[in-house]
Amino acid sequence: MATLQKRALYGLVFGVVWAAAMAAVFFVKGGASAFDEDRGFRLIIDGLWIGGLVLYLALFTTIMRRPTKFDERDRTIMDRSARVQWLAVILSLVAWIVGLSEGYHSEGQIPVVFLYLIFISTLVVSSVAQCTGILIGYWRMNRNG
Amino acid sequence: MANIRNRIRRLRFDHDEMTQEELANLAGCTRQTIIALEQGKYVPSIELAFKIARAFGVSLEEVFQYEE
Repeated sequence: MATLQKRALYGLVFGVVWAAAMAAVFFVKGGASAFDEDRGFRLIIDGLWIGGLVLYLALFTTIMRRPTKFDERDRTIMDRSARVQWLAVILSLVAWIVGLSEGYHSEGQIPVVFLYLIFISTLVVSSVAQCTGILIGYWRMNRNG
Repeated sequence: MANIRNRIRRLRFDHDEMTQEELANLAGCTRQTIIALEQGKYVPSIELAFKIARAFGVSLEEVFQYEE
């Protein structure tokens, strides 16, 4: 198994745990309305997404300058993973827009706090989708060449 | 997949059974890429192809052949 492939697998597991942890904290602490009102709650979520992002970036950047660990084939697969990432981000944005538009249609406005939540969810979806894209890339290259 | 064949496995054998790891280190790539090349599942860039040929001390066409 290539180093990048292993990192993508770890990244996928980490991304799912990261997303689940943020969702758990979010719902246990009271959801969107509590998030809007409680500064301490927002700081916890900030810590979770910034910490997760730093760990996620470290997972990949630590191998990218080592030719015996990361080469042109890995770079090709990584570049192709952007297609999966792009699709996942678009789908998550569509889900947010449809959900919020339908949920708040009668009120005529959407609470500002959702902008922040859309950003955090896009970040998590993008990270998980990149790892998924890398794993699909290796699988397809090993199958078809 | 392009019709590009290679003789990497044969050339490794001819070079005192050079290991995939040794070739990867000489060519500046990963062992997994050498495995994929030998299995015909990856076509290298021109740069990597030259590096592999140079690692064996032969010309590019002695390693890679294009078949119409």
